[in-house]
Amino acid sequence: MKKIALIILIVVSCRIFSEQRTLSFMMHWFPQAQFAGYIMAYEKGFFREADLDVELLFSDGTCSPLQKVNSGEIDFCTAWLSQAIVLRSNNWQIVNIGQILQKSSLMLVAKRSSGILTPSDMNGKRIGLWSGDFTIQPTAFFKKYDIDFIEIKQSYNIHGFLADAWQVASAMYYNEYYKMILAGWDESDLITFFFDEFDLNFPEDGIYTNETFLRQNEDICKKLCQAVLSGWEYAFQNKEETLQFVLDYCDRYNMQTNYSAQKWMLDVIERSIKFNTSEQKEDWGKISQTTYFDMVKILKDQDLIDSVPNFKTFFWRTE
Amino acid sequence: MKYHVKRPIRWKLILLITLPILIVYALIVFFNSYWNRKTALQQMKDYLIELTGHHAANLDTEFAIISQAPQNLAEVISSLNVTDSEDIFRLIENAIDNNPYIHGLTVAYEPKAFQNKRFFAPHIRKIESELQRRDLSGFGDYTLQDWYSIPALLGRSYWTEPYYQQDNGRELMCTFSVPVFKNGNLIAIAAADISLDDIKDRMGNISIMAGYTFLLSQHGTYIYHPNPNDIMKETIFSKAEKYNLPVMREFGKEMISGKSSVQSFPDPITAYRQWMVYTPISTNGWTLSAVVPENDVFTAVDAILIKHIILMITGLIVIIVIIVFASLNITRPIRNLVEMAEELSTGNLDVRMEDIKGEDEIHELAVVFNKMVQDLKHYIHDLTNATREKESVESELRIARSIQESLIPRIFPPFPDRSEFALFARNLPAKEVAGDFYDFFFLDHDNLILVIADVSGKGVSASLFMAVTKTLIKAKANEVDRPDKIMQEVNFELCQENDSAMFVTTFMAAFNVKTGVLSYCNAGHNPPYLIDNTGKVSQLPNTEGMALGVWEECQYSLQKITLQKNDIVFFYTDGINEAMDIDNNEFSYERLEEFLTTINDQVPRKITEMTLQTVKDFTGEAEQSDDITLMVLKYLLG
Repeated sequence: MKKIALIILIVVSCRIFSEQRTLSFMMHWFPQAQFAGYIMAYEKGFFREADLDVELLFSDGTCSPLQKVNSGEIDFCTAWLSQAIVLRSNNWQIVNIGQILQKSSLMLVAKRSSGILTPSDMNGKRIGLWSGDFTIQPTAFFKKYDIDFIEIKQSYNIHGFLADAWQVASAMYYNEYYKMILAGWDESDLITFFFDEFDLNFPEDGIYTNETFLRQNEDICKKLCQAVLSGWEYAFQNKEETLQFVLDYCDRYNMQTNYSAQKWMLDVIERSIKFNTSEQKEDWGKISQTTYFDMVKILKDQDLIDSVPNFKTFFWRTE
Repeated sequence: MKYHVKRPIRWKLILLITLPILIVYALIVFFNSYWNRKTALQQMKDYLIELTGHHAANLDTEFAIISQAPQNLAEVISSLNVTDSEDIFRLIENAIDNNPYIHGLTVAYEPKAFQNKRFFAPHIRKIESELQRRDLSGFGDYTLQDWYSIPALLGRSYWTEPYYQQDNGRELMCTFSVPVFKNGNLIAIAAADISLDDIKDRMGNISIMAGYTFLLSQHGTYIYHPNPNDIMKETIFSKAEKYNLPVMREFGKEMISGKSSVQSFPDPITAYRQWMVYTPISTNGWTLSAVVPENDVFTAVDAILIKHIILMITGLIVIIVIIVFASLNITRPIRNLVEMAEELSTGNLDVRMEDIKGEDEIHELAVVFNKMVQDLKHYIHDLTNATREKESVESELRIARSIQESLIPRIFPPFPDRSEFALFARNLPAKEVAGDFYDFFFLDHDNLILVIADVSGKGVSASLFMAVTKTLIKAKANEVDRPDKIMQEVNFELCQENDSAMFVTTFMAAFNVKTGVLSYCNAGHNPPYLIDNTGKVSQLPNTEGMALGVWEECQYSLQKITLQKNDIVFFYTDGINEAMDIDNNEFSYERLEEFLTTINDQVPRKITEMTLQTVKDFTGEAEQSDDITLMVLKYLLG
C-alpha cells in the first residue's frame, strides 16, 4: 500500500509540476503592435485563465526563435511561415499550431517622383532588399516580371530610400511604409506593390512549437492557441488600452516608436488576421491548403526546399 | 410726514454721468487692449523669428565647421597616396584635434580598397579630450550602415538621421559622411560623429517666455523636445496624426522642405492657440522651431488690462462718491423745500427757507418759495376777511329769506274749513332769497285770489321787489276786486320811480269756490295748465298785458273759465320748464305737459312733490339755476 501511495504521490507531483512549469514563448522581433495579441493574452491573464504560466520573450533579431524551439530551448515562438516551411523541409522538429496572420504585409515602395509606376519601371533601378525570407517574394516577383535591377542591401530603416540612395524600398505595410508617412510623405506620393496582389501572398506570423512537445502537451498547445486568439480579440476590441500596453513594452526595449505608428500597425495586423475569414476568433489562425501549396510551389521554384512538408502534420490546426 | 422719492436725482446723476464714462472708458480699454495684444503678438513673432534665426545660424555655423574636417580629410586622402595605416590615423587625429565639435572621425575604406584588406575603417574618438584609436571593421560590415551606404550610393556628402550610440552610454549621435573618390572611383567614406547631447542641452536652455523650442531632423523626427519621451520617437507627423491636426502635418512638410514661417495652431490638449516659428538649418536640413502659447504672449497685456480695469473701477467709485455728495449737497435745499411744502400743506404758513447760499437756481427757488408763502399768507388773510364778510352777508340773507318766507303762506292746508277746493304751493329759491312768489287769500267768503309771480333778477333786490309787489297786490285787491284792475293798479305803482328797471311777470286769478269760475289775468307770466277731470292737459288761454313794472299805461284783460269737479289748475314759474340738466338741456314744456297727463287723480300736495321730484330727476347733479315756484289748485265741488 505504501508503495502505491508513493507512486500516486510522485505521479501527482509530476503532473502538478508539469502544469505549473513556466512556458517560454518568444516573439520573433522586438515588441510592437505586431505582437499585441500575445501581449494582451499575457497582460489580461488569458494565459493564466487557461492554467498556463507563460513567459513572454522578444527576439532582438540576432537569434532564431525557431532554432530555439527546434532545440527545445524554448517552448513556443512566432515565426514567418516561409521560414518555417524551409526549416521543416530540412527536418526541423517544428509544428505550426496557429497561423495568425493571413495576409502578407511585405511590399515594395517607390516614390511617384521616381517615375516607377509599374513593375517593369523597376528595370535598371536600385532596389533595397532585406535578407533571408524577405527576399523570397521579391525574387518571385522580379522573376515573374523579368526585372533586371540593382540590388541594394537595405538596412532596417527607410533613410536611404528617403534620401534617394535607392529608388525602390522593401517595406512592411504595418511598419516601414507608415514610417514614410510619418516622415512627411503622403500616400499619394508613394507607389506601392503589395506582393499578395501579385499572387504572392505569403502568410507571415504563426505560432510554432516543437513536435515532441506538442505530442506530449496537446492540451497546453490548444489552450495557448486559444489564449492568444482571445488576446487578439481583446486587443481589437480595446485598442487604446492595448496600445498603452504595447507602448509600455516598446519603452522597456527602448524602441523608437510612437502611438501613431503602433496604432497603424495594430489596424493593419487586424486586417491581416481577419483576411479571408470572419470576425469570430474561432475562425482565426487557420491556413488553407491552397495558400500553403501556392507558397510551397514558389519555395520549390527558388530551390529553397527539396521536399514538401506534409500539410496535416506541419499544421496542427487547420481548417 | 416723511416724503419718499422713487427715483432720487442722485441716481439719475450717477446714471447719466457714470454710464457714459463707463462706456467711453470700456471702449478705450478694449481698443487699447486689442492694439496692445496685436502689438505684443507681432513683437513675439519678431522675437521668435530673431531667436530661432540666431540659434539656427549658430547651429549652421557649427555644422559647417564640423563638415570641414571630413571634407578636408577626404580631399587629403583623395590627393595623397596614403598606404600606411599609421599615416591615416595621424591624418584623422590632426583633423579631429582641430575641430572641437567632433566626437569621432573615421575614414572607412571600401572593401579591399586599402592594402587589399576586406574592411578597414580607422576611427578616432574623443574620450574626455583623449584620442582613442580603433578600427570599425571589428564591429562588422560597416558598409551596410547608413553613414556609409547612403553617401556611397549618392556619391555626395550626407548627414545621417540622428541615432543612439550604445558603446559609450546611450548617446544621441549624428554622422556627417563624405565620399572619397580617387580617379573617379569611390575608395572610402570620411565620416565625423557628433554628439547631439550638447545641442540638446543648449536647446533646453533657450528660454522663450512660457514656450519651448524643438529641433527636427530632415525626416521630421524630434531631435530635441522639452518632453524627453518625444525625442527620437515622435515625428511632427506622428503627433499630427495622434492629435488629428492635419495643419500640423502641413507645417511639418514645409519644415522638412527647408521653409521658414510663422504659424498658429490649436494646442491638441488645451485647445489654446499656439504660435510656432520655424527656421531651417540649411547645412543638414534640420529645422529649429519655437512654440509659444498665445495666452502667454498676452499675459503682460492682460496684466495691464486688469490694472486698467481696477483703475477704471476705482475711478468710477470715486466719481460715484463725488456725485452722491454733490447731489446730496444740491438736493438738500430741494429736500428741505419739499419738507416745507409738506409742512405748508398741513397749514403751517410760518415756514421759511433759511440759509440758502449762492446765487444759483436753488437760491432763486428758495426766494420764490418764501415769497409764495408770504403771498399765500396775505391771500389767506384777505380770504379770511372776505369769508367773514361773506358769512355776515349770508347771515343777513338768511334773515331776509326768513322774512320773505314769512311773506308767503306756508301753512297747508291753508283753509282747513273749506272743502270746495284743495291747494298746495312750494317755492324753492335758487339763491338764498327768491324773486319768485305765490300768494292766495280770500277777498270775501267765496272769492279766492291766487297769485304767482316771477321777479326779474334774483337775490336781495329781487326779493325786495317781490315784497313790494306782493304787498301792493294785496293792498290793491282790497280796493278793486277784479284781477285785471288789480294788475293795472299794481303795475302803475310799480312803474313809479322804478330806477332799477325791474319787472315782475304775474299771473293772478280770482276763483269763485262756489261756482268754480276762474277769472284771471296774465302779466307776461307762463300760462298755467288746466288738467281736467279726464286728465286732459291744456294751457289756460292767455290774456293781454305785459309784465308788471315795465310800462305804466299797460292795459290788462280778463279771461274766465269754469272749473268742473276734480279739475286741476297748475301754476308755475319758468324755473320748472327752464330747469337744466348737466348738459344744459331744458326740462321744457313738452316734458312738463307729458308729466301733467299722469297726475289728474292726485291731490295738490302729492302733485307738487311729484313735480319737484320729476324736475330733480331730470336735472340730476346740475345746480338749480333759477327759482322754482309752483302752486296747484284742485276744485272739489261741481
